[in-house]
Amino acid sequence: MASKLSRRSFIKGATVFTLNMAVGVAFAGREKTVAAITTGRVGDSLVDLAKANPELVMLNAWIKLDAQGLVTVAIPKADMGQGVRTSLAMLVADELEVAWENVRVEQAIADGVYGNMLTAGSGTIMQLYNPMRLIGATARHMLTQAAAQTWGVDAAGCRAEAGKITAPDGKTLRYEEVAAAATKLPIPARNQVKLKEAADYKLIGKPTNRIDNPDVVSGRAEYGLDVKVPGMLYAAVLRAPAFGGKVASLDDSAAKAIAGVKAVVQISTGVAVVGENTWAALSGRDALKVTWAENPTASLDTAQVWEQLKTAKTSDLPPPTNAAKDLQVAYELPYLAHATMEPMNCTADIQADRAEVWAGTQSPDGVQRLVANKFQIPLKNVIVHTTLLGGGFGRRVEMDFITEAIETSAAVKAPVKVTFTRSDDMKHGYYRPASYHVLRSGLTAQGKPTGWSHRVTTSGVSLGGGPAFVVNFIIAAGTEPPYDFSKFPVDIQQVKTPIPVGFWRSVYASQNVFVVESFMDELAAAANRDPYEFRLENAESPRMKAVLQLAAEKSNWAEKLPAGKGRGIACLNEFGTYVATVVELSVAEDGNVTVDRVTAAIDCGVAVNPRTVDAQITGAIVDGLSTALMSRITIANGGVEQSSFRDFQWFRMRNMPQGKITVHLIASNEAPGGIGEVGYPATGPAVANAIFAATGKRLRRLPMQASDILDAK
Amino acid sequence: MTIFTIMVNGTPQRVEADDPNMPLLWVLRDKLDLTGTKYGCGIGACGACTTLIDGEPLRSCQVKIAEVGDRKITTIEGLSPDLSHPLQQAWMQIDVPQCGYCQAGQIMNAAALLAKNAQPTDIDIDEAMSDNVCRCGTYQRIREAIHLAAGSKK
Repeated sequence: MASKLSRRSFIKGATVFTLNMAVGVAFAGREKTVAAITTGRVGDSLVDLAKANPELVMLNAWIKLDAQGLVTVAIPKADMGQGVRTSLAMLVADELEVAWENVRVEQAIADGVYGNMLTAGSGTIMQLYNPMRLIGATARHMLTQAAAQTWGVDAAGCRAEAGKITAPDGKTLRYEEVAAAATKLPIPARNQVKLKEAADYKLIGKPTNRIDNPDVVSGRAEYGLDVKVPGMLYAAVLRAPAFGGKVASLDDSAAKAIAGVKAVVQISTGVAVVGENTWAALSGRDALKVTWAENPTASLDTAQVWEQLKTAKTSDLPPPTNAAKDLQVAYELPYLAHATMEPMNCTADIQADRAEVWAGTQSPDGVQRLVANKFQIPLKNVIVHTTLLGGGFGRRVEMDFITEAIETSAAVKAPVKVTFTRSDDMKHGYYRPASYHVLRSGLTAQGKPTGWSHRVTTSGVSLGGGPAFVVNFIIAAGTEPPYDFSKFPVDIQQVKTPIPVGFWRSVYASQNVFVVESFMDELAAAANRDPYEFRLENAESPRMKAVLQLAAEKSNWAEKLPAGKGRGIACLNEFGTYVATVVELSVAEDGNVTVDRVTAAIDCGVAVNPRTVDAQITGAIVDGLSTALMSRITIANGGVEQSSFRDFQWFRMRNMPQGKITVHLIASNEAPGGIGEVGYPATGPAVANAIFAATGKRLRRLPMQASDILDAK
Repeated sequence: MTIFTIMVNGTPQRVEADDPNMPLLWVLRDKLDLTGTKYGCGIGACGACTTLIDGEPLRSCQVKIAEVGDRKITTIEGLSPDLSHPLQQAWMQIDVPQCGYCQAGQIMNAAALLAKNAQPTDIDIDEAMSDNVCRCGTYQRIREAIHLAAGSKK
C-alpha cells in the first residue's frame, strides 16, 4: 500500500498557514500534475513551482489527492519500527473521511513546513495526534465547502464520507472532482474546523496492519543501506581503536592497489576508503596501514570507569526519619549498545551550491542544518531524504554517520555511501551510559516507606552539549517513585569519561526504573509484604493502580508457583503512559534462567493503533529480557570489546517465553501517551524481582547471568 | 576481473567481479540491485542476508561469488512474483514486521523450514529460526505466521 519512497520531494508547501504548527498546503487535481511536482527540483520556492506547473492546484503540504481518489499523506517523522507511517496516516484519513485502502504514505523531505521533525522521546503521537487530525479535518472542511458552493447549498447540510461529499438531496461529488475548487477557498480558522468525537472514529483505535507490509515482505522497502544514486561510490571508514584517537601516519599504497578502490581520504573520524562497491571499500580498508597518535584513553577499561562511578559523591544519602528500619543498597548497570539491525550508514552528494543526503535518520532537519552550516549552502538547497530505519532506539539521532558521509562525498566530489560494518557499529556507538545507584529508605513500624533517597552517578547525554541542569533533568527521568510516601530530591552526580554516550530506548528511565522498582521490592520484602499489594497500596495514581491490578489479574499473581519458579512485578509512569509488567520465570540449579511468560498491562490513553501498541510493548519487553539476562558493553584498551551479535547477546527465538508475552490494553480517552520506549524499563526489575521470588537472591548488577545468580547470597 | 554467470531467481545474471572472494551478499546488493537481501553482520551471526541456494538457507555474506557455480539462488525478490507465497501472506496478515529490516532473512529461513517440514512445531521453529536476530523482538508473531502459513496448529 505504501508508495516507494520518493527520491524527490513531497509537494512543496503553497499557502503556508498556521495550525498549531507551521503547515503548508498543496493539492493537485490530476495525477499528471502530481507526478510533475514530485519530480520537480526540490528546494524551489512555491512561486517557482507554480510557474513551472500552471495546472497545479494546491491545498496542503501534507495531503495529495490524485485523479483516482488515492490520498497520499506526508509523514514527517521517521519510522524505525514504531509504525508511525501507519498511525499518522490513520489520523489524517479518519478526519479526512477516506477509505483506508485508498491511503498511501510518502516520507516528507526535511522542510520547515513540517515543524519539528525529530523523532525521539516517544513523542510522535503525543505531538501530532491533534495536528494530523486537524490537517485531515481542514481538508475535509474545504472539500465540503467547495462541493456545497458547486451545488449552491449550505455546507452544513452536506456530509463527507469515504472520499465523497453527499448533498442534502443525495447528489454526490467525489473529492477529486472538487479539489481544484477547494484550493481556491480561504483556509478556515482553527475554530471553524470541527474535529471528530472519539465515538465517531472509524480508524483511530482500530487494530490496523502496517502500511509498509507489502514492501517489507517483497524486499522492496528502502532502508538507508539500499539507497543507490547515479555515480555513487561506496566507502568504509577505519576509525581509531580507542575513543578519540587520531591518525599519526597513513600508508594507503596497498589499499589503493586493490582493484575497485578509487580513493583514500582522511576525514575527521579516521580514514575513508572509497570504492566501486562495498566489498572493494572493505577490502581496501583491510589493507590500510595506519599508526595512531598517542592517546591517553588507550589504557581505559571498565574497571576504571566503575572506580570513577563508585567514588563520585558529594555527601551521604540523608537518614530517614520516623523509621523502624533503614535500608541502603547499591546497584550497577552496564553500558549498552543500540545494535540496530541495520548498521549505521548514510549516502551523501555534496556539491558546490547544493547537497542531497539519504539516510535513516531520526533528525532529518538536524541533518539539513548540519550540512547547510558545514558547507555554507543555503538551507533550501540541502535536500534530506529520510528512508525507512532498520531500527533506531535513539542511535539515529546522532550525526556521526552523516558527518562521515558528507565529509567523504565532499572530498571525492561524488555521491558516496558510507557503510558501518557490524563491528564498526558495535565499537563506534553512543552507548547507554553505565550507572551506579545508591538507594536508601526507611520503613515505618507499620511498614510504610519513608524518606526515600536515591543517588544516580552516571555520564550525561545531551545533543550538542547543554548546561548541567538540563542534563540533570534528563538524568532524573524515572527516579521519582510513582508512590505516595515521603522522598528526598534525587542526588545526581555526573561523571565524564571518554566513552561516547547517547539516547538509548527510554534513556535514563532504562536505569532508574530498574533500581527504583528493585528497591521497592526490597522494601516489600523487608516489610514482609506481597510485592504487588505493597505497590498497589502505595501507588499514587488511579491509573497506576489500574494497570497493577490488570497485570496481577492476567498473570494469575495470586496463584502459587512450584519451587524454582517465581513471579516479579514492576511498574512505571513515563512518556505519559502507565505500564505494569509481571515476569514469570524458572531458575535452574545451574543458575540458568528460563522466562516462562510475561504479562503487561498498559494505559497509554487513546491507542491510535492498538496493534502497534502491542508490538511496541512486546518488543520493548524482549529488549528488557535481553538486557536483564545477557547484554552488556565492556571497555578494554580504550575501546569497546564486543563486536557482533556473538558477543553482544540478544534474545533469539529460542530464548522467547513458551508461555508468551501478552499485552493488555486499558481502553481510555485520555490524551495519547508514548509507546515506543515505555515497555522497556519495568521488564528488567520484574525479572530481578522474579529471580528473588524464585531463589531468595537479590541481584543488583546487570546483566543477571547464571554465575551471578549462583554467586549471589 | 573475473566474469561469472549465476542463476538468480530463475534468470542467468552476468557478474563482473574484481575479487572472486566477493561475498554473494554484495554481488546481489551492489551489482544486481537486489537489495531485499540485507547486510546485518557479515560474519553469519544474524541471518539478515539469508538466501536460498539450491533450497538451503545460507548466509549470503558467507558465500563467495566464486563458490556459487551453477547452484540456483532465490532471494526475497524471487520468492513469488506477486506476494502470493504463503509466508508473505501470513507475514502481512499477522502484521509481523516492525522496522522490517530482518524480515526478508526471516522469511527466507522460514521458507526453507517449511520446504523440509510442512508442519513444524514450536520447537522445530525455535531450532530453525534461532540463527536470525530480530532487534524489534517480533519473534512471537514470526512463530505465529509460520504456523499460519503451514496451516498447522502447534
